[in-house]
Amino acid sequence: MSVLAAERPGPVAGRGSGAPARRAVIRWGWRLFLREWRRHVLILAMLAVAVAATIVGLGASTNAVQLKADPTFGTASTVIILRGSDPRLGADIAALRARIGPVDVVAHQQVAVPGSVSTVDLRDQAPGGRFDGGTLRLDSGRYPAGSREVAVTRSTARLFGLEIGSSWTANGRTRRVVGIVENPLDLLDQFALVAPGQLAAPTSVSILTDWQPGPGDGLRLPSGTGMLISSRGKPGTAAVDAVVLALGTLGLLFVGLMAVSGFTVMAQRRLRALGMLASLGATDKHVRLVMLADGAAVGIVGAVAGGVAGLAAWFAFVPTLQSLSGHRIDRFALPWWAVGVSLVLAALTAIGAAWWPARSVTRMSVVAALSGRPSRPQPAHRFAAAGAVVLAGGLALLFFSDHGSEQRRAWFIILGTFATPVGLLLLAPLAIRILAAVGRHTGVAARLAVRDLVRYQARSGAALASVTLAIGIAATIAVSAAASDAPRAAGNLPTDQLMVYTSPDTPSDQVPPLSPSQLQTVTARLDALAGAIHARAVVALQQAYSPAAGLQPAQPGPGGRTVPAGYAAASLSQVTVQGHAISISRVDPLYVATPSLLAYFHIAPSAIDPGADVLSARTDLGGLKIFTPEFHAGPNPQPGSLPAGRAQLWDVTPRIQAFKQLPLYTSDPGTLLTSGALHRIGLEAVTAAWLIQAPGPLTGRQIQTARATAAGVGLYVETAAKQASLAPLRNWSTVVGILLALGVLGMTVGLIRSETAGDLRTLAATGATSTTRRAITGATSGALALLGALLGTAGAYAALLVWYRSDLSPLGRVPVANLAVILAGLPLLAAVGGWLFAGREPPEIARRPLE
Amino acid sequence: MTVLELREVSKVYGDGPAEVHALADVSMTVDDGELVAVMGPSGSGKSTLLTIAGTLEEPTRGQVLVGGAAVSGMSRNDRARLRRRSIGYVFQDFNLLAGLTAAENVSLPLELDGMPGKPARAAGLRALEELGLGERAASFPDELSGGERQRVAIARAVVGERRLLLADEPSGALDSANGEAVMRLIRAACHSGVGGVVVTHDAQLASWADRVVFLRDGRVVDQTAPIPGPESLLAPER
Repeated sequence: MSVLAAERPGPVAGRGSGAPARRAVIRWGWRLFLREWRRHVLILAMLAVAVAATIVGLGASTNAVQLKADPTFGTASTVIILRGSDPRLGADIAALRARIGPVDVVAHQQVAVPGSVSTVDLRDQAPGGRFDGGTLRLDSGRYPAGSREVAVTRSTARLFGLEIGSSWTANGRTRRVVGIVENPLDLLDQFALVAPGQLAAPTSVSILTDWQPGPGDGLRLPSGTGMLISSRGKPGTAAVDAVVLALGTLGLLFVGLMAVSGFTVMAQRRLRALGMLASLGATDKHVRLVMLADGAAVGIVGAVAGGVAGLAAWFAFVPTLQSLSGHRIDRFALPWWAVGVSLVLAALTAIGAAWWPARSVTRMSVVAALSGRPSRPQPAHRFAAAGAVVLAGGLALLFFSDHGSEQRRAWFIILGTFATPVGLLLLAPLAIRILAAVGRHTGVAARLAVRDLVRYQARSGAALASVTLAIGIAATIAVSAAASDAPRAAGNLPTDQLMVYTSPDTPSDQVPPLSPSQLQTVTARLDALAGAIHARAVVALQQAYSPAAGLQPAQPGPGGRTVPAGYAAASLSQVTVQGHAISISRVDPLYVATPSLLAYFHIAPSAIDPGADVLSARTDLGGLKIFTPEFHAGPNPQPGSLPAGRAQLWDVTPRIQAFKQLPLYTSDPGTLLTSGALHRIGLEAVTAAWLIQAPGPLTGRQIQTARATAAGVGLYVETAAKQASLAPLRNWSTVVGILLALGVLGMTVGLIRSETAGDLRTLAATGATSTTRRAITGATSGALALLGALLGTAGAYAALLVWYRSDLSPLGRVPVANLAVILAGLPLLAAVGGWLFAGREPPEIARRPLE
Repeated sequence: MTVLELREVSKVYGDGPAEVHALADVSMTVDDGELVAVMGPSGSGKSTLLTIAGTLEEPTRGQVLVGGAAVSGMSRNDRARLRRRSIGYVFQDFNLLAGLTAAENVSLPLELDGMPGKPARAAGLRALEELGLGERAASFPDELSGGERQRVAIARAVVGERRLLLADEPSGALDSANGEAVMRLIRAACHSGVGGVVVTHDAQLASWADRVVFLRDGRVVDQTAPIPGPESLLAPER
């Protein structure tokens, strides 16, 4: 037999246990991290995803909103627009240079697109200008040089079927295409670029300058002609910073919650080992240090992995964001300070999150830790009162965030964004108790499941908080995106409609009348077009005019085209009396509510109030008047400034009847003049346009066909302007939110069920089958998911109701599919997942685990 | 010299109707070099006695003195220091830390007490060599057999200046041959001057002790010297 040596190591009494003890404990923590890395995978993945999402969110919010330059202004403070018809244009520009210092000069000429109401800007601009350098970029080929070369944007090339090397005739001049260019600040900017000084007869000239007009700082041109001066203030960055910080705050809050959930699980799994360490004489500090070392390892690895994944995701997301934001985005234009802070804070958050369960472990007795028994749950009411106060405070901060100075607003947004979810999180234990009370009358499996959620409140509360936050963020993005996709903001027309006008100036102020034979020809062509695109409906649209005014003369229109002689159409306008003058600003064109148009919108004539003048779905038409120009043709008609004495002859305060089925798109016939009003005011109707409803979104080929057809009979087509949809953002946020929620549930439900292995053993002994086991796990998972989905969605709506309080109408567009997936799909997925993964009998049922 | 003294120690768990008296007025002493076995049926309070003696739990009433120092007035950190320096614990299920090698497990109490890594590990290695495990020093616990793990646990319990060795069913998870070997090692440790308390169900193993304390319902019902066992033939001088 062996005997113990008489000689023992030297005495250690009196020696501080400091560094060697810390080193030993950290070594053990690190070894555990390496040995148990598989157990850390989920928490590491969640941390990495949260960090990555924060980085992508920071990049997106910064780049989608914050631009140092403007697509029109470039980096200039002021743009002065001179008329191209100015006979002393050169002298005027020289005078401006002398007066206001360095300027960039950009000349414009409009080029008509055959058969379309749209035009292309032929631009004379020097690349690399002092102020407008950022508004021009060469994508391929080269910049034009000389009078016979041109560079075009991709959309212009598509429109006219051009490529590098081909020839293009515009406004009577033929040029060779030598390059593809773009406005990086506005990718939808459709233009063609000629060499500097090669635009002989510009429509207008933009002068970009750093000069800003002050009070009494008048400019006069030598020619005495007028000019339009537009200035912009300094781009405000406080609101953007607030958004970035609020996102960062939410991201880190989420990271922290994830980490707390994860480390609570880890602490429980290591409870016996930590008890062993304490039994060997480790102090509470040493025990905490093990968990903190683990937290540091997880935090650093998670932050680095998340940083790499976030940057990769950001680089991949940039093209999508470019199409969403409409401007070119530099992949490296990230708020690096915020990214760095996020990484550091993510690691610190993980360490902080590890501290909390470590503290709980050190508060247990060593014997309880050695036995692996979890501690008793804390009372729920303690958190609920604090949660209600914090939630109310958060909502109040958001409510008051758009009052006062910009700085105050930023801080209110940050604090409100932080406090609102924290308040919801503190309410989580109460919600679990309410669910348990509701679940009292359910079957044994569901009853046991919800009661176990209460028993293991530390775990379930943290999990519910994480799920609520993940769903809350996803729901907020989905609802906000749906609100921003509201039809009026969505553009001029839906993608499955096209409008055909008789005038190139649309929606028409001046409607050229068609003779019966012209009308017959046009109708036949449009019917053929409708057949070619399998249109579901073709509706003729009429506008109203005052017969007293008579036919107005032809006048210059956009793109160098001429608006033919026609009737001045009535519109809903803002009429303001200013001294002896009247200012008239047209808000919405009026179309006559013909029986065919009413039928198209499924409005029964009997549903129209005989006293109503205007029908519309718009809610912002109060105070507007029906304005009908009555001026007669003269040498210099000025419809915007008319003698006050005649105002009452031209405007009528309408009685508006609301019809929600009328469209809100800006070019759709959504504001209608009733036939009753037509007669009461004494107006007459004239065919002005046709609405063609296609069975689905129009293809490029169909639009080309429509343009060719329209051009053949002197008409003009308008289709949906390219508008990026926010649907992908909405859907992806929902998917990511649900995946995060499922990850949290997988982590927590597994732990809660393993802690209740004793109950399962009892159930198995009393004859319960695997179906009961599956049902308990499925119910646990589904119940947590349902609560999280409800709380998260409610929190999102509470915050958004406060945010949009001045105009709640955007929230009327509910993302039904996204919310259905969140509220029904997530609980269902969680329940089914729990059911499936609970199939294997846990070994704890057969025997108690030994370390 | 007395290394452990319990004076009228009582321990009550729970309250109201759920109240359980695990120990009631238990008094006992363990001297240097003495090995005491504690026996009794399940629920008699054997393990509670050991956890209280090892300062892992506090008694509801009574006093515990380790090496003459009263435990009751000590802070958690002071009790931890006492465990590091004076008390060695051997559990039924070995309780080795999975992330550390055998040598590191043994040297851990020394390192926790501030001894630098190298001398601590050297001391740990020596302790392992004395128990015939020098070649397994670099192995992790899951690479060791049950008997080897318990020997590592004993080495960890006696390394340094430990004066009290507490063993809770040290052979409970071992076969009879390994169980005997473990008791032999504990006995040898006591011969070198360590006071020992062993909780066991097994009368055969209890026969290795100098004295047996019988517990029933938390009370000491008998204390006796055991019938001399086979080891008495190996140690005729005692």
